[in-house]
Amino acid sequence: MAETEERLRRTMMFVPGNNPAMLKDAGIYGADSIMFDLEDAVSLQEKDAARDLVYEALKTVDYGTAEKVVRVNGVDTPFYKDDVRAMVKAGIDVIRLPKTETADMIKELVDDVAAAETEFGREEGSTHVMAAIESAKGVINANEIAAASDRMIGIALSAEDYTTDMKTHRYPDGRELEYARNVILHAARAAGIAAFDTVFTNLDDEAGLIRETKFIHQLGYDGKSVINPRQIPVINAVYAPTKAEVQNAQQVIAAIDEAHEKGSGVISLNGQMVDRPVALRAQRVMNLAKASHLVDEEGNYVEE
Amino acid sequence: MEIKKTALAGTLESSDIQITLSPATSGGIQIDLDSAVASQYGDQIKDVITTTLQGFQIENALVKAVDKGALDCVIKARTVAVAQRALEQTEPAWEVL
Amino acid sequence: MADIRDLHLRVPSVKKEWIAFLASHGLSGFSDAEVASVDSVIGLFDGDRLVGTGAIAGNVLKFIAVDEGDVPGANFNQVVSELQTRLMMAGHSHMMVFTKPQYETSFGHVGFTTLAKTAVGVLLEAGAPGIKQYLTQLPGVQDQAHKQVAAIVMNANPFTQGHRYLVEKAAAENEIVDVFVVSTDRSLFTSAERMQLVQAGVADLKNVRVYPGGDYMVSYATFPAYFLKSGDDVIRYQTTLDARLFRDWVAPTLHISRRYVGEEPKSHTTAIYNTVLAKELPPAVQLIVVPRLTQAGTVVTATQVRQALANHQLATVQDFLPVSTWQFIQDHQDELLKRIAKGVNIRGN
Repeated sequence: MAETEERLRRTMMFVPGNNPAMLKDAGIYGADSIMFDLEDAVSLQEKDAARDLVYEALKTVDYGTAEKVVRVNGVDTPFYKDDVRAMVKAGIDVIRLPKTETADMIKELVDDVAAAETEFGREEGSTHVMAAIESAKGVINANEIAAASDRMIGIALSAEDYTTDMKTHRYPDGRELEYARNVILHAARAAGIAAFDTVFTNLDDEAGLIRETKFIHQLGYDGKSVINPRQIPVINAVYAPTKAEVQNAQQVIAAIDEAHEKGSGVISLNGQMVDRPVALRAQRVMNLAKASHLVDEEGNYVEE
Repeated sequence: MEIKKTALAGTLESSDIQITLSPATSGGIQIDLDSAVASQYGDQIKDVITTTLQGFQIENALVKAVDKGALDCVIKARTVAVAQRALEQTEPAWEVL
Repeated sequence: MADIRDLHLRVPSVKKEWIAFLASHGLSGFSDAEVASVDSVIGLFDGDRLVGTGAIAGNVLKFIAVDEGDVPGANFNQVVSELQTRLMMAGHSHMMVFTKPQYETSFGHVGFTTLAKTAVGVLLEAGAPGIKQYLTQLPGVQDQAHKQVAAIVMNANPFTQGHRYLVEKAAAENEIVDVFVVSTDRSLFTSAERMQLVQAGVADLKNVRVYPGGDYMVSYATFPAYFLKSGDDVIRYQTTLDARLFRDWVAPTLHISRRYVGEEPKSHTTAIYNTVLAKELPPAVQLIVVPRLTQAGTVVTATQVRQALANHQLATVQDFLPVSTWQFIQDHQDELLKRIAKGVNIRGN
């Protein structure tokens, strides 16, 4: 687990690495994480140019508070090593490894990242990693993968390749993903890292996107990968806490603050002990509420 | 550095710039620029290209650039890519990036 | 954003959809051979809908057609851009396109230079070396500015006494003669062989310079004309482009004031070509039509030489050939016959 502060990761927007227009604008849509893709979105002959382009974009374009992630080419490709080095040099937040099947692949990535940090004078440990699970083998090994390194911040299901590996394809109801979704979520939670759901590919089916997002929200996923900025507000709306949830969280935080002020060791609300999980959930709800602009500066709930 | 072959990088899509780099034996870095904003930003675009090529120790070259509204970072990235292709370098140019 | 995919025309349904798309953009009636000559075909897709296409053949962009999307020109630019990238990957740093006049501006916006145009078609180029570079870098042309310079364009498939006669005449009447040998490799004798035979055949003429025609002195038969109906219109379009390219670029850059051609009483196509040259070249360039050399009452042509070779009657044409060409054919008879057996067209030029 690479972080202490919980970060919102409702949406991770895919940006093709060789597309200057999308690289330029990627920061304006309010995605929590932006994933620059050097892998599937870039044709073989453009791998070099895309790497140069993402590098320069990372150095110069302001992506605000969004977490900057890059999907490098797989460890078995000739592009992988230089992708990792260039992205570490550029100061990327997270490197996403595609087609992760074993914990050893993550360990190899972490070694390469650490070497690049030394080579280019980046702060040791400043570059995080995450794994994309795209096969049956990856799902089977999800627990070890999620716990493979302190640099791990998340694990994602990538359903296109996964369903191919499973000899099926994607269906609107998503039942073919049931097992993988649950395994990956458990692996993430057990390791204390984030869980990202796969993309919803039909851009014209907003009802379907809402349905799927509600479902993975219910399971406990941190968020979803998105392929089009139009999907971001839809997903954020699903993740927005209700007025009652916000009020309850505010009460929890008020109780904590009050206890601190009084120097009291025991914090309670409504006769129940406020323990760490309750406090963390309250913090997360408030983060969501702020990100969804549901509370103002003073903490007043903003009615729609 | 001697340019080994004519190379191209970038596209004609919006916000991009397509750069063709070919060898020349003299005349410095000669840039033929097509851009809708050439009158305002032409010098700046040429400057980014020239500076980047100089980073590769390229002294003489013919450059054809078709700009579709690229930011400086895009111009630089495309110049790096086309230079490496023309020089047939596969290792990323760490000192130029 | 629309995305690019390969279109494999060997898949019947793909080909059918492609043909229909082209037809909806006014491109139809082209031959199977024209389609078969392409190296790769791409489709631009918005979701699953085909919104654009283009192809490459050799260093030529072909079959470009696009729907206009939300952003004007975006689909066109994306298709052309991808084709250019593919051409470059295939080693073609210089590229050409033959297209309808209404697309001239669009190609101009993406960095193409117009070489020649007619009312029905336009020829443009991009990449390097461009025509200026090609012409000014020909060895020996620097001293032509103040001289009387003539030009001859020939395929020389192979070089005959007829070609020699034409060059000799031009050499006698001018200070310098630039001979351009068509570079297109579609003849029985390869372009390298034809170059070699022309060079050998004129080696004794000190004021004659032999150059490969590159992409510019294109044999008019190789101009794609798939977007025109057919027949004489096509020939007229192709030859007019060829003539104007020579008149507007080659002649002024190299200070050429005369062009020599052989009279062609037999071929309908060549007759049109000479008529077009006569119409297009003057007054900038004087056209001089030289009657064909005859040997024992027969007009000397390369076609007859190839025919004789195919019929194993080489001796009948020995008098048509300079020693160098005769020797070459003797030495390479088996190889040449193999090419003929493999189906190389020996008619045409």
